[in-house]
Amino acid sequence: MIDILFYLLLLFLIITAFFMVFTKDLSNSVITLPLFGAILVIIFVILQAPGVALAAAIMTVGLTTAFFVITINKTEY
Amino acid sequence: MSRLNERFKKLYKIGLVITFAIFLFFLFYDIHNLDSDGKRYLSEHYISEGVQETGATNLVASVLYDYRAFDTLGEATVILTAATILAFLVPITKATMFGTTFKSIVNQTITLIIPFLAVLGAYLLLFGHLSPGGGFVGGVVLSVIPILLTITYSVDFSEYIFKPAQKKLVENIGAIGFVLLGLLGVFTGSNFLASGQAPFGTGSAGEVFSAGLIPYLNLMIGLKVGAGLAIIFNSLIKEK
Repeated sequence: MIDILFYLLLLFLIITAFFMVFTKDLSNSVITLPLFGAILVIIFVILQAPGVALAAAIMTVGLTTAFFVITINKTEY
Repeated sequence: MSRLNERFKKLYKIGLVITFAIFLFFLFYDIHNLDSDGKRYLSEHYISEGVQETGATNLVASVLYDYRAFDTLGEATVILTAATILAFLVPITKATMFGTTFKSIVNQTITLIIPFLAVLGAYLLLFGHLSPGGGFVGGVVLSVIPILLTITYSVDFSEYIFKPAQKKLVENIGAIGFVLLGLLGVFTGSNFLASGQAPFGTGSAGEVFSAGLIPYLNLMIGLKVGAGLAIIFNSLIKEK
């Protein structure tokens, strides 16, 4: 069961990564980044790496998104 | 001359491909032979002896703050340098407000969230040698508090609550305290940043006050990273 879930999560990881790179709208790309990070956090927890999962959760889901949103707001996209 | 240029461009591309292929060959060769030869003696030593030698049940913390503490000092210096240069380069001007103003529900939610963030950050800082977490992650969680204040209210309010001089003072306390704690190992007759090998002992593994210097180093790194990230964010959000 956990194997199926794991491969499904890996598939979603690839889908979100490709969507993030190839989408035309910049704000779509920025909002997909925390989704990618959340899936990566679940994968880290399944692989029993809680330290890396904590760091990834805070960095990719929190800080990076805040910085990107602020940057887009500042450049008046 | 142009023919020479053309030939050079072709040779350049071929050389690039060959260099990349050689690099990939060595990479996959090393990854493939990772289990079979004696390259894992260091990691096996860390896994089997780490808890006895350093007293920290979190092996990541034992590697980061005991075996390789000097690398951590270098990483922390990077953040200190970035925060210092940004605070120096960006002029002190009034920050521009955002286009949208938030409703009261966002403001109330932020005031509810901030105490939980403070407790979570303090837990991750102080228990970094027992459970997952550590100084770096705890510092980032603590730095989210002034960032949230900046986003929801304004830069002025955030700098009224956490004054820039106070943040710089906290960052400098973290930076100097890390080096002073490292020098403690030298004064007690051991190496720089020694905590497991130092004569003041590691305590019994699993208790809060154990693992030698690791909890204090965690605290210093957390203060430094939190204050540094808050300074970086507030400096970047300002403009003329």
